Amino acid sequence: MSNDRDGAKAVDYSPADVLVIGAGASGAVAAWNLAETKMRIVCLEQGGWSDPSQYPSTGRDWETRTQSDFSISPNRRAQPADYPVNDDDSPIKVANFNGVGGGTVLYAGHYPRFHPSDFRVKSLDGVGDDWPVDYDTLEPFYAQNDRVTGVSGLAGDPAYPPKQSVLPPLPMGLSGQRLAEGFNKLGWHWWPSDSAIATQPYNGRDKCINLGACLYGCAQGAKASTDITYWPEAIRAGVELRAWCRVKEITVDDAGMATGAVYFDEQGVEQFQPAHVVIMACNGVGTPRILLNSKSKQFPDGLANSSGLVGKNLMLHPYASIQGIFADELDGYRGPHDSIWSQEFYETNKERGFVRGYTYEFNRGRGPVATALTGVHSGRIPWGEGHHTAYRRLFNRIAGMVSICEDLPEEHNTVTLDPELTDAHGIPAPKLSYRISDNSQKMLDYSVARASEALEAAGAYDLIVDSPITHGGWHLLGTARMGQDPSRSVVNEWGRSHDVRNLFVVDGSIFVTSAGVNPTRTIQTLALYITDQMKKRLTTLFD
Amino acid sequence: MTETPTAIPDSPERPGGTIATDHIFSVDEQTVLRELAGLVVTASAEYDLPGADDELIFNDILASARDVEDGVRAALLRVADCAVELAQATSELEGQPEMAPFVSLVLQCYYRDDRVMRSLDMEPRPPFPLGYAVPEGDWSMLAAVQARGKIWREV
Repeated sequence: MSNDRDGAKAVDYSPADVLVIGAGASGAVAAWNLAETKMRIVCLEQGGWSDPSQYPSTGRDWETRTQSDFSISPNRRAQPADYPVNDDDSPIKVANFNGVGGGTVLYAGHYPRFHPSDFRVKSLDGVGDDWPVDYDTLEPFYAQNDRVTGVSGLAGDPAYPPKQSVLPPLPMGLSGQRLAEGFNKLGWHWWPSDSAIATQPYNGRDKCINLGACLYGCAQGAKASTDITYWPEAIRAGVELRAWCRVKEITVDDAGMATGAVYFDEQGVEQFQPAHVVIMACNGVGTPRILLNSKSKQFPDGLANSSGLVGKNLMLHPYASIQGIFADELDGYRGPHDSIWSQEFYETNKERGFVRGYTYEFNRGRGPVATALTGVHSGRIPWGEGHHTAYRRLFNRIAGMVSICEDLPEEHNTVTLDPELTDAHGIPAPKLSYRISDNSQKMLDYSVARASEALEAAGAYDLIVDSPITHGGWHLLGTARMGQDPSRSVVNEWGRSHDVRNLFVVDGSIFVTSAGVNPTRTIQTLALYITDQMKKRLTTLFD
Repeated sequence: MTETPTAIPDSPERPGGTIATDHIFSVDEQTVLRELAGLVVTASAEYDLPGADDELIFNDILASARDVEDGVRAALLRVADCAVELAQATSELEGQPEMAPFVSLVLQCYYRDDRVMRSLDMEPRPPFPLGYAVPEGDWSMLAAVQARGKIWREV
């Protein structure tokens, strides 16, 4: 069954040297980076491989499928790979994808780095905590990940320390140029977005042809989802990836060391895969869910949870969407979502009434169905007489931005186990309890006000505002945070559990703070850094 | 992958290819839904466009309605409560939350119809494999941004 999409090979249940749980953004990187050690590496993934020939953009119903089998909501999608999430107690609902590639299958590929200041939040602004690593330490790993991913962009962004781009930037297009004109009028920063989208053929991937459906799987293969970047190389190097294997719990021995994982295979049969090292890579909801489900005599409150912080400090990045309606035609349905960004309001300025800041991620436009839904449900397009004329005032004439607001860690924002809800295998499902903080709310409001000014400067005559974006919980962070103090963190400064010396976490749950950017590039960079640390410490890994 | 139907087959169950008696919705319900679809998106002589009650489009709606049956039934219940005949009920129904799932379904099917897409100067095809052209834009506009110098915060 290993690595075989037809499930033909026999399963080897002998002990793995390294067992990776989750084949998404970080699990792929961890497996890839450890492969050169020639250790036996096995990865268990609860979903399957995606078939790009079946992605929505290959069909006429592509926009409809974004509301069903390719919805960003696991609860709405409800595919066999998915598990339910109780997010009733959160104004922001979870968005994810379960399968090989994980969230990178459905992400936009908007791919900023953290800034140096993001790792020193406590020192600079007196909030949150400082990270136990810094930008300079991670910079070589950012660069390594950029090369594997094939990041497009333009060097020289004044919002960042110097960094190189691997590929030329995505086109600005009519929408990007119009919005840039508005920002230039106000003297505000903007720059071509760093994107995980190939603008030229790169490492076997074809270049972007502007399908406009990045959020629903890239049929062209231009977007760097890990099923087509890291995984093929890792598998060629000998890593075994077992799809359709949902982990129930991580087991431990009497000494409190991890011994492997109990999981349900594709036939629903409970199996056990022993391992000498376990790496969690299920992100900010999946990882605490498994750790909290892994209760034992040694760890009655869940694995690696002596601090009580597993599942706490959930950060979601509250988003606002601010879209303008313009009189003349822009990109509309044509082109990737990414074009340019602005970090004018990224670094702290306390005169704004909040600390920390946010990124504007610009949006080109939307498809014909999305335009109709937006127009009709917002009352801008009437039923009956007048429908067609009103529709044409919106079609290909909507462009704007979303603000990605830094969320600070708060212990009352949690992932716990739902007392009743379970997945198809009977494993307790996660439950979110989350509130938008005053600081985040002020930041959201500020971002809406400034974006409105920018869109007006760009020539928009009407605005469509959605704040917070309800179904915008793309970034699931902070629920197994890293740090040097075992009483204040779950893993140490190189990703190893304080409590279980052969258990590592490499996903977004280890984030100490969230920054005001999309996190995937930093998640993957940390996975490279942590696994590099593991390689350097192989002989003393458990000391 | 779903293609827009180009022809509706005749059959004893679908005389003229318009009403399916084996559908999850009864013939009477289909009649109501078709009239309702035509209220949401009306045919236009000005743009030479069919309404959403057009035979091809409505059959697409009906076929797709199976996936959102509960929402469609909510719309039917709301219509049944109307104080006036359906043809005069636009002001009573428009914007009502119970109508949203069915209205969304109507729009999803209407705006993937070949005739409608052509009227919007779109080619009636999926995005892949041909993609679209997007102009590069004027990168010289970045000169103003560069002129300000660095804005990132030293630590």
